[in-house]
Amino acid sequence: MLSLFLQDIWKVLLYSLVLGAGLPVLYAVGVRASAFGTAGTDGAETVASDASSAVRRRRALGRTMAGLCFLVVLGGIAVGLAAIVASGHGEQLSFEHGYPTFVPKS
Amino acid sequence: MSAQLLTLVLVVIVALGFDFTNGFHDTGNSMATTIATGALKPKTAVALAAVLNLVGAFLSVAVALTVTNAVVSIQGSDGAPDPALTADHGSALLLIILAGLVGGIVWNLTTWLFGLPSSSSHALFGGLIGATIAGIGWGGVHWTGDGTKLDGVVGKVILPAFASPVIAAVVSMVGTWLIFRVTRALGEGLNNGGFRWGQIGTGSLMALAHGTNDAQKTMGVITLSLIAYGSWTDTSSIPLWVKVSCAVAIALGTYLGGWRIIRTMGKGITEIEARQGTAAQGSAAAVILASSQLGFALSTTHVATGSILGSGLGKPGARVRWAVAGRMAVAWFITLPMAALVGAATWEIGDAVNGGLVGALVMVAILVAVSCFMYARSRRNPITAENVNDDWEGPSAVLEPSETVAA
Repeated sequence: MLSLFLQDIWKVLLYSLVLGAGLPVLYAVGVRASAFGTAGTDGAETVASDASSAVRRRRALGRTMAGLCFLVVLGGIAVGLAAIVASGHGEQLSFEHGYPTFVPKS
Repeated sequence: MSAQLLTLVLVVIVALGFDFTNGFHDTGNSMATTIATGALKPKTAVALAAVLNLVGAFLSVAVALTVTNAVVSIQGSDGAPDPALTADHGSALLLIILAGLVGGIVWNLTTWLFGLPSSSSHALFGGLIGATIAGIGWGGVHWTGDGTKLDGVVGKVILPAFASPVIAAVVSMVGTWLIFRVTRALGEGLNNGGFRWGQIGTGSLMALAHGTNDAQKTMGVITLSLIAYGSWTDTSSIPLWVKVSCAVAIALGTYLGGWRIIRTMGKGITEIEARQGTAAQGSAAAVILASSQLGFALSTTHVATGSILGSGLGKPGARVRWAVAGRMAVAWFITLPMAALVGAATWEIGDAVNGGLVGALVMVAILVAVSCFMYARSRRNPITAENVNDDWEGPSAVLEPSETVAA
């Protein structure tokens, strides 16, 4: 029983680390990036109105990076939602095709 | 109305009562950190959690009727009740289930009074185990399964209870530490604003998963009782009214908000800010979903509290109140045996008055008396949406439930 348990529990830890720590950190990277080019240390409000083009470029880069991060995080949440819906229907997600599909619970 | 039908009605009402306690006992799992950091106002947060629990419960299209099979053998693998217990409109089975539910509710209310987040599933399983031992004997308990898969009390309850808080704490600690590294250059305003949505999103995911998982358990128990009585025969579906009433009961419970437990989780374990809240909830949601995907039954409560603890360990310079965490750990370990004790005692008392309808009425009377006592006790130091976020230590420390109760 114990070996059966230990056999699989490390997988829970691994998946959870990737998704449960990875995605929030990616979200944090997004929050950080969205503050590029602003006086981030004391809040977003103190942006000079006559910002130089270098600052503007940094800000655009930051926004793009932030958008990408948030997109991946949203994708993760969508997979989470799919897993919940699947469990309600007596099914589970399968990643055998690389993307999640519904299969009957094993 | 016959005596057996009245017994069935009592079982259904008490089961919905358990579902209701399941709701408010677990509101904190999804919303404690969101409330503690002010990402949502307390009332807004519990309303959101309630709606998502309702939606989650209705998402339960395929409800397993075999919920009790994890720990006791009062039904077959197809969900049909054990034929030995179904004589006389399932009277024997109904009394076991009723006593088990009383055990679960009493223990849920006790831990709520002390503001301790303990697992509602463990309370339900504990109650059923106790009632089964009293009603059938030790042989009725499903301790380990046949060894080919994780099953029984050991595989589905005890081992996960040890592992889940540790895993959740590790994941949350790593997440918190990294998030603080990434965002240390940002000001407080930017961090709180930026992570507000992170908290709301992850908390919502938890609430939805809770509705899908936990409401099902009561649906399964009620349907099992209906089959035992003989008013329902289909083991592959459940009556619509069962689904609707369970969904509403858990949502109403969630909306009530177990403020005493929310306070312990959000303020007691460690002081939380928005970034930790996001890390803790993200970790909890991932551990719950990953484990159910891999076939583990982890308790949402253990995972959520482990995650909050981890967010205190991961934040540079933060302090974890180990005394609070220790008291919680004790509550976790005694939940199953204590609920079992109450379930067994309830069954014995019901049996001593000759069982049947009289026995059921006595059991319900005990439940009502104990519940009223707990409620009256809780009014001595009420915790509400208004004072849930008060400082844990200092002048308002009198709010700490365990101190006043012990006095």
